[in-house]
Amino acid sequence: MKKIILPALIMASVIATLAHAARPYPVRPITNTVVWSAGGGTDAVNRMIMAEMAKVLDTRINVVNKTGGIAGSIGMNSVLSKRPDGYNLVGISSSNVVAAVNGGWNERFDVWSPFIVGSSPDVISVNTDSPITSLQDLVAHQAQSQQAYKAGAGGTGGIHHLYLLELARVSGVDFQFVPYPGSAPSQTAAITGEVDVVITSMAEQAQLIRGGKLRPLAMLHPEPFELEGVGTIPSAFGLYPELAEHLPLSQAIGFAVHQNAPDDVKTKLGKAFEAAMQSPVVKQWARDNYYQLSGKHGEAARDEFAALESYFTWTLQGLGSNKFSPDKFGIPKP
Amino acid sequence: MLEQFSHFFSTLFALATSPTNLLVVFGASFVGIIFGSMPGLTATLGIALLTSLTYGFGPDVALLALLGLYVGAIYGGSYPAILINIPGTPAAAATALDGYPLTQKGQAGRALGLTTTASFIGTLIGLLFLVTLSPFIASMALQFTSWEFFLLALFGIVISGTLTSPGTVLKGWIAGLIGLFLATIGRDSLQYFPRYTAGFSELDAGLEIVPVLIGAFGIPQVIRVLSERRSLAEAPKLGRILPELSAITRNIKHIFRSSTIGVGVGSVPGIGEDIAGWVSYSTAKNASTPEQQKEFGKGSEAAIVSSETANNACIGGALIPLLTLGIPGSPPAAMLLGALLLHGITPGPSIEVDHPNFLLEVTAIMVLASFAMWANGMLLAKQVVKLLTIPAPLFIPVVGILCILGGYALGLSIFNLYILIPVGIAAYFLGEMDFPIAPMVIGLVLGGMADESLRRALMLSEGSFLPMFERPVAVILLVIIGCFIVNQIPAVRTRTTSFWAGLFSRLARKSPVV
Repeated sequence: MKKIILPALIMASVIATLAHAARPYPVRPITNTVVWSAGGGTDAVNRMIMAEMAKVLDTRINVVNKTGGIAGSIGMNSVLSKRPDGYNLVGISSSNVVAAVNGGWNERFDVWSPFIVGSSPDVISVNTDSPITSLQDLVAHQAQSQQAYKAGAGGTGGIHHLYLLELARVSGVDFQFVPYPGSAPSQTAAITGEVDVVITSMAEQAQLIRGGKLRPLAMLHPEPFELEGVGTIPSAFGLYPELAEHLPLSQAIGFAVHQNAPDDVKTKLGKAFEAAMQSPVVKQWARDNYYQLSGKHGEAARDEFAALESYFTWTLQGLGSNKFSPDKFGIPKP
Repeated sequence: MLEQFSHFFSTLFALATSPTNLLVVFGASFVGIIFGSMPGLTATLGIALLTSLTYGFGPDVALLALLGLYVGAIYGGSYPAILINIPGTPAAAATALDGYPLTQKGQAGRALGLTTTASFIGTLIGLLFLVTLSPFIASMALQFTSWEFFLLALFGIVISGTLTSPGTVLKGWIAGLIGLFLATIGRDSLQYFPRYTAGFSELDAGLEIVPVLIGAFGIPQVIRVLSERRSLAEAPKLGRILPELSAITRNIKHIFRSSTIGVGVGSVPGIGEDIAGWVSYSTAKNASTPEQQKEFGKGSEAAIVSSETANNACIGGALIPLLTLGIPGSPPAAMLLGALLLHGITPGPSIEVDHPNFLLEVTAIMVLASFAMWANGMLLAKQVVKLLTIPAPLFIPVVGILCILGGYALGLSIFNLYILIPVGIAAYFLGEMDFPIAPMVIGLVLGGMADESLRRALMLSEGSFLPMFERPVAVILLVIIGCFIVNQIPAVRTRTTSFWAGLFSRLARKSPVV
């Protein structure tokens, strides 16, 4: 009996595979593995864009979270080890580019072909009880008190930390960086008065600003920001044009497929991505949640991530917080 | 106020009269109970999976499904805790201490009925706090800076010694310290320095709680039942599941105290249902008379009522900072935040402007979800008790496989099993040497928070411990910790015990009714 079953099974699977091959991608559900935790920005963006792309691709897309490791290395490693057939996507953001230099994995970021949904601009704020009302105030106040400001931001080497470093560099203000596990706890610390200033994205902070818990000082973005019920938040670039040398850094929230995936798969994903980005649902969501949509994919998105990788890793090298030099992976200096 | 009341009841009525809604909330609650009762499938994971599935629905239906599942999952964890001494979720770990002894006495049905009703009442009391006191509680939650977080974690660790029988207090402390050591594994979150990771990148984020929990409680139980060829429980009496009113009134003070503890713990950002259960258990023990205290660990009604009421009341507490500040109060609430964002609802201080009456709508949904949980629970309890009639040599290997699968299912990572199995074997030998396992798990859960918060606090104060004594909430916590520690010293303990005993006997003499 066994002798018949085994060949029959093999035959059946061969036929099934051939039948699959005859039909175009995607013939089965796609899995998108988000490397950041549920409830965060990357997670929310991925769940939304995947739901829209599933309509276009006419298949189911399962979104799962696989967090941990260094800068999302566990999730990225697990997706990279799967067959590059386009059925496994990975949900990522700019903060993932430091995984290699911190010993999370041994890959350059160009193993991925990214699709960038968008990002939310960064804003620096203080507690509403603080006497400081503007960026100028912040500088002037320190000139008098001679004390370093305690500055909260999520994780060492994260995007908000790098914004803080840039602001310190151009303004000469002395900040004592206090790391928190994420943006939300750092904002809470600013509300409770544990830290003096906090830098997170507008998407994360808007509710607290509108609710009168935090006072925005400036956008760390070239344009000022119009926030409903609050007014215009000026851009720090007006006071410090030098910020434009390295900023704005894109949060580059989105997803990626294995760079070795077949071209027709990438084209298909690209078309679905473009269609999803044009959908009213995504546009409305971006407006409601203070995201600026990007829509880059293919060559343009790879270039953007290469630039982010170079800037992030070399800045961290300057801080001495890398495990390995970016040279080891052949990452060029910015 | 009157207008709000009428809006609340009209929302509740509108929700409850739609058959689709009822089907959704009962279905979600059922799935939640299953998630809660399977080791490795947690409330957080359940909400994560359901978020994608409910994307296409309106926010009302999606919230019904998500909150139904949340309430069900926190409650469902008590099933395996009571029936086979393996908590399904970290939140139910404290319930196992006294729930399983009741099962061994053949009272599984009664225990489940009591915890179901306690969970139901706990959820409703939590909601009452959510509706009436949420601005006040939210402002209390904002009193928690790094110092308070450190002291809160320290408090949780200090209660380790009270979770054991009096003879093994020292062993309880040792187990707690082992847990603290396990918590140091991983990269430290302030300076990113790898500690005891032995080069495994999987250990960088620290030990995952759920595989450790399954290993520590599940594996020893499987080994013990199989090696000693003993049955899981006395043949359960398939009697009454619905608890008598007298059982509820007898425990009413535990229910109220535990609800308050649950709401309080839930509303502090970052810690949730699991800690609520432990704190409530330990407080109930400390508040009991010496005779009642002897019952703890041997199947005390007060104990299971306390832990189960608190972990469900915690839900209402966790929703307070989520809805009023946009800060999730517990890990499942963090997932819920993601789901709300997906539906275009951003919780936070201005939610009443963007979505007027949203708080009342959530409350109405939660009321429905707790009814669904209670009804499901009453129907299920009778059936799951029958599982105990399956011979242990057939039943326990299946439990063993489910434990291993559960460990793997969390993040689909084989590395979890490399943690689960050694922890399980170590826990078995520790258990054989009379070391309690619960303090070890608490040490692991809270150790990271204690370590990180203390170091961040010292970083902010530039090395000074003084600010700890200047903050009101911190001082209160310090006093409570001090009392707990002093009460552990045998000499003091006997003295306070005799004091209480004297007081009680004097009271008894004075009142002729008793």
